[in-house]
Amino acid sequence: MSNYSFIGKRMARVDSTAKVSGEAKFTADLNLPGMLVGKILRSALAHARILNIDVSRAEKLPGVKAVATGKDIPAVKWGVFRYTQDQQFMPTDKVRFIGEDVAAVAAVSEEVAIEALKLIKVEYEELPAVFDPMEALAPGAPLIHDDFPGNINIHVPIHSGDVEKGFAKSHYVREDTFSSAEESYFQSEPYAVVANFDMSGHLDIWMPNGGPHMKSKPLSNALGIPLNRARVRKIAIGGAFGGRSEIAPGDLICAVLAKKARRPVKIVYSREENSIATRQGHSMITTIKTGVDKQGRVLARDVTCYMDGGAYSSTGPIATSVPFLCMEQAYRMESVRYNGYRIYTNKPIRGMIRTHGRGFACGVDTQLDMIAEHLGMDPMAIRLINARKTGETTNTGSYVGSCAMEETIEKASEKAGWKEKWGKLPPFRGIGMGCNSVQTGFPMGIRGGSKAMIKFNEDGGATVISGVVDNGQGNDHMLVQIAAEELGIWPEDIQLVTADTEITPSDPGAYSQVSTFIGGHAVKIAAENVRKTLFQTAAPILNVGVEEMVAKDRLIYDKNNPENSVSIKKIARISLSREHAVTGEGEYWPKVDPKREWVKNPFGQMCGAFSFGTTIAEVEVDPDTGQVKVIEVTAAQDVGYAINPMILEGQFQGSVAMGGQGGILTERHSWKDGATLNPTQLEYKTPLACDMPKINSIIVESVDPEGPYGAKEAGMSIAMSAAQAYSSAISHAIGVHMKEFPITPDKIVKAIKDKKEGLIEN
Amino acid sequence: MQMKKSAKKIQLTLNVNDEQREVYISPNKTLLEVLRDDLELSGAKEGCGEGACGSCTALMDGKPVRSCLTLALEAEGAGVTTVEGLAKGERLDPLQEAFVEHGSVQCGFCSPGMLMSAKGLLLDNPHPDENEIRRAISGNVCRCTGYTKIVEAISAASEKQETKK
Repeated sequence: MSNYSFIGKRMARVDSTAKVSGEAKFTADLNLPGMLVGKILRSALAHARILNIDVSRAEKLPGVKAVATGKDIPAVKWGVFRYTQDQQFMPTDKVRFIGEDVAAVAAVSEEVAIEALKLIKVEYEELPAVFDPMEALAPGAPLIHDDFPGNINIHVPIHSGDVEKGFAKSHYVREDTFSSAEESYFQSEPYAVVANFDMSGHLDIWMPNGGPHMKSKPLSNALGIPLNRARVRKIAIGGAFGGRSEIAPGDLICAVLAKKARRPVKIVYSREENSIATRQGHSMITTIKTGVDKQGRVLARDVTCYMDGGAYSSTGPIATSVPFLCMEQAYRMESVRYNGYRIYTNKPIRGMIRTHGRGFACGVDTQLDMIAEHLGMDPMAIRLINARKTGETTNTGSYVGSCAMEETIEKASEKAGWKEKWGKLPPFRGIGMGCNSVQTGFPMGIRGGSKAMIKFNEDGGATVISGVVDNGQGNDHMLVQIAAEELGIWPEDIQLVTADTEITPSDPGAYSQVSTFIGGHAVKIAAENVRKTLFQTAAPILNVGVEEMVAKDRLIYDKNNPENSVSIKKIARISLSREHAVTGEGEYWPKVDPKREWVKNPFGQMCGAFSFGTTIAEVEVDPDTGQVKVIEVTAAQDVGYAINPMILEGQFQGSVAMGGQGGILTERHSWKDGATLNPTQLEYKTPLACDMPKINSIIVESVDPEGPYGAKEAGMSIAMSAAQAYSSAISHAIGVHMKEFPITPDKIVKAIKDKKEGLIEN
Repeated sequence: MQMKKSAKKIQLTLNVNDEQREVYISPNKTLLEVLRDDLELSGAKEGCGEGACGSCTALMDGKPVRSCLTLALEAEGAGVTTVEGLAKGERLDPLQEAFVEHGSVQCGFCSPGMLMSAKGLLLDNPHPDENEIRRAISGNVCRCTGYTKIVEAISAASEKQETKK
């Protein structure tokens, strides 16, 4: 057992009282004096040249205070990377998807704003559109961006080792194609923005975000104001799941309206707008060819993946790489080749999502099940023989400093009763296993590190200043736990100033699962530095060396003689009397290869640590209706070290819901000519309380050598592996390896029928 | 929306969280709009605007309602309770305490609605079993938690009530 006071303890979150009392303010809850209602006019066409936008009638409507179009924003195109700059936030040339931002108004009421939108006349010349990535690739397809021939937005080519040689020496080789539909985030909170501009050009802006600094920089660029005037403020955030990291057109539009109107403006997206005009998950078509030896070891794997990226790049190069990276981290391969293509279509923009790559990962695991079947192996055995181990290097050159993948497989199997159940369940009952690995961070250049500052008050309390943002996962509490642990004070002695770009130094945000590993780490180092200062002041009072001191329970004492103590409050006051206010700072930058680049050089150290997860699902299928009843799910993740096990369990349980229950049973978008047919919660089915099975959570701790207290990413490995486990369990139950995700009842009924009629071999 | 423009405003008295509140509103305003815009009670959230997500749940005479699908007019004469009315002064309701202690809150956007559905359940059925709890909150969508810890908290709060008696 550890000697920690707070780290590793089940603790109620510091932000939960405000959230259960209704006090917590989300963006849509903000009301500023004189605030206007902003509304965005969206394209009803999937692909059309904009000939003219006439806003004159809207401008004249009483109560309208500002109207904005693409002419009010700089003509520069935005992109996460220099080579993906393809999006003008209100386009002046053409619209490229249904729902794209065309014009906007700010008015005294919602009714007037809606009326004003109707008065805006946009003349379009409709262009041929393309909605299927394979059709978009075909010769003669409509070109969506002039400077991206063939509608290929991104091509990530990776080759490590020699796959042809690997296939040649393989005992068994098979190739299969898997596909998945688009999914959506369905964050509880629909997107919203509040902006206020003063006459001196200071912007205050609130919105759900996955990293405030990731928002303020592009805002400052687009508005032509210095970064210290583009102030993204802290606000409660109703979920992100990867979809709220980049700047959104609505952010800039709201700021522009506020600037023009000289009044605060609030834009609240409807649920439909949140689905079609923020981000969606990519649909994917993945062809996987795998060669193994007699023992089931993977000797070669060749993967080609086509992702439907929608109309713009978004985080394209990252999105095109991550499903491959998760797989190469999880499983060892002698050689591997990957060709990932992100294709433009006239559909909403696709971004990173917590379950990114179900059409890839589920394919890899399903194929492992098929190979195991051919070799007469247990799916657990083939995963164990290929599972990543500590101290290895991935095919693209990332050293894995900690890995308990095998332990997650073994512990989950034991808890789920794998050996008793696999192959022994009655008809239409099945058990399946999925394994995955997720990065704790990406190479993010100058945004890759975090710095924290701590201010100690004379009453013994402290204020922690950090750029870390809490999207709901518990990051605020994590910072408090770490600071309290290191400073030797209590959680209630700490106040946070976080996620505000005016005050906090740069930070990568919650993006790429790094909040604890990088932002939390920075707070830990800052607190250690403050503690050193306190110890130096205490040394002559306690008459012991600083190495002999402990800070705990608001006291500093001699570890060899705890009676010899002084209160931290007293030390803070003594410091002040000696003309020194106690403050400190600390920063952490992960050890990544700065030369690694997503497309040009996808080799080198990817991030500081990797997490590993195994999920096992047990299901029962009704062969007549295709309905799946999930009996029990067991999720085990190597999280490095559990800073707050209660929060981790919540992450695991939520991951099973999103990745497995939703991701494999129900969640998908359906389409008609580029229009999202199910953008609302009535038609897009996210899991409900009555749907969810019993979930066993198993926390595995490999204690990462780099992570703070050994901690690394938590949660996403379960979301991914849960999808794999659900799909594997259904396949096991019906005796057909399913290749299209989600696995909806119609597909199950068809597979059972096809099998009965001998149309399916497996 | 067309209707809103033409609708003539009316005077309405609502009893919200044991307070008489006078509002002057268009008759087609929903209870949710009146709570949030006129009474500045922003605890109830709009997540979908069509009765699917449950974020706007409030109690009318102890029964959970979708305030986004309820006209403010319908609430006249009823006792309306929102999440702001659960705590008594500085003291949280046992349900709120249980949500905090059990880690049932992640992003917290669904929490107010979830708590009101749970409160409605416990008022009607003080000792629900797990299935009854799951059914009662099946109109409240939570995207973060997978519901496990919410169900645990409601169960714990009901047991707490029991021991109090």
